[in-house]
Amino acid sequence: MQKIMIIEDDPLIREELSLLLENEGYRVVSITDFTDMTGQIRDCAPDLVLLDLGLPGRDGLALCAQIRKNFTLPIIIVTSRDSSTDEFRGLSMGGDDYITKPYDVPVLLARIKAVLRRSGGVSEADVLTVNGLRLCLTKGTVSLNGRSEELTRNELKILAHLMAHAGEIVSRADLIDVLWENQIYIDDNTLSVNVTRLRTKLKDLGMPDCIRTRRGMGYQL
Amino acid sequence: MTIYEFLSDRLGKIMVQLCCTAAAAFFLRMTGTSSGVITLLLLFLLLIFTVTQISEYHKCRQRLSELSALLQGLDQKYLFGECAPPPHTVYEQKLFALMRSSGRAMIGAVSDAQASMQEYREYIESWVHEIKTPITAAKLTCRRMDPDSRRKFSAELSQIEAHVERALYYARAESPEQDCIIRQASLSDIVSQAVGNHRTLLIQSQMKIETGNLDFTVYTDKKWAVFILGQLLQNASRYRSNASPSVLLTATPCGRQVQLTVSDNGIGIPAHELPRVFDRGFTGSNGRLRGGSTGMGLYLCRKLAALLEIDLQISSMEQQGTTVTLTFPAKQLSETLQNRKTNPY
Repeated sequence: MQKIMIIEDDPLIREELSLLLENEGYRVVSITDFTDMTGQIRDCAPDLVLLDLGLPGRDGLALCAQIRKNFTLPIIIVTSRDSSTDEFRGLSMGGDDYITKPYDVPVLLARIKAVLRRSGGVSEADVLTVNGLRLCLTKGTVSLNGRSEELTRNELKILAHLMAHAGEIVSRADLIDVLWENQIYIDDNTLSVNVTRLRTKLKDLGMPDCIRTRRGMGYQL
Repeated sequence: MTIYEFLSDRLGKIMVQLCCTAAAAFFLRMTGTSSGVITLLLLFLLLIFTVTQISEYHKCRQRLSELSALLQGLDQKYLFGECAPPPHTVYEQKLFALMRSSGRAMIGAVSDAQASMQEYREYIESWVHEIKTPITAAKLTCRRMDPDSRRKFSAELSQIEAHVERALYYARAESPEQDCIIRQASLSDIVSQAVGNHRTLLIQSQMKIETGNLDFTVYTDKKWAVFILGQLLQNASRYRSNASPSVLLTATPCGRQVQLTVSDNGIGIPAHELPRVFDRGFTGSNGRLRGGSTGMGLYLCRKLAALLEIDLQISSMEQQGTTVTLTFPAKQLSETLQNRKTNPY
């Protein structure tokens, strides 16, 4: 399990962020005492630091440079200062990525994942498996009992999201949101078409009622 | 200064001199000086008078042209009094001192105004940065609400964000040299960021986003371009038509420039209002009918686009849709911006 350190002075954000990241399967350490950061980082040895630049009474950029000097761990700068100049300064002071507030939760999670992957941590699972159904993300294929089907980009994203949340009800709006994040700008009708096609392919594999429609709520795998 | 102006300025003096000369000539004649001598004397006086007047006229003209050249060369004209060479005669020096002290009062007022504008801008910026923390917290918290309220709540939050962004960019447009970095940027990145930023609004208004070929590199400030595009997307979804609203984003090379076209199939803008859509605070009949229009979006777009040297054109047909074309500059550009960077005043 990877450990993420949150350096953030707003208590509510700190709390919500810890909760969010814990739900995503990370171990979270949040700092409440903003003195001797270097010592604290050395003590808990995180895999990634989420650093808010607007700490009380401290220059966040100097802190970033200080962490960079002493440790090799990746730093994601989180700040409300969003001009190109600020971003340029942040990245040249040793930040690995630069996210501006208010961020979208999925975007934040994706960036964290990307930075961890780049820094040579655990690579993201390439194959998702639910009830014997195997989805290979890089090949874009789904297979069951030795038979396999190729998926289109949209179908792949939809199935991947459903499989990642297997058992939960995923609303149509959430699915549309996920697809838009991947620059697939689909509307409600296109989503229905894609889900129907996906069902046909799963049926051909021998899993006819794999994706259930929960009336008024969404889909469930 | 023309000769006529010069002479009319001195008319009184010349008349007095003429009278004195005539009186002197009359007196000499009475006291028995021969008329030949008087004529000679008068001719001699006339010669001296003419020569001095001509040389004075030339001096005046030269001085005036020097001063106006100086004024021409000044970037801030109100600093003229500080730069002009002091005159020689005591009377002129006194006048000059008066003018200079009035000029100084104005310089003081101007720099006070500039300072307070700068302070105001800084306040707006820091306010915007402060407000982003609670917005972030609210966004994180609303994740745990039930789906229906969450959707409503995040729609409101993204509206707040859009308003805050506009305020920030309004303040930034006043002194662009502080935040603007012109670099290579991928046009498809700019488009996907702009769409991503306004995802909530676009999905909720059921806009269909179609993208054409966007594989181009442009030279611009990415954040600003994303902001401009974001305003256009917001407009497209605010003034959408009821039946299957869509917006098409596509780019074409145009010589060494790149042209990005954003066209929607919305309700369009009446032809007579089209020339005014970029005016500050202009909401038009559409804005008045629908409400919630600030008249700031397109105004800011034009202002920021001008700073980035992006050419912004709009065309529209009522009930057919609106097309906005952004022409990004070729590589070698932004001299004005570079100049402003090195020399803000």
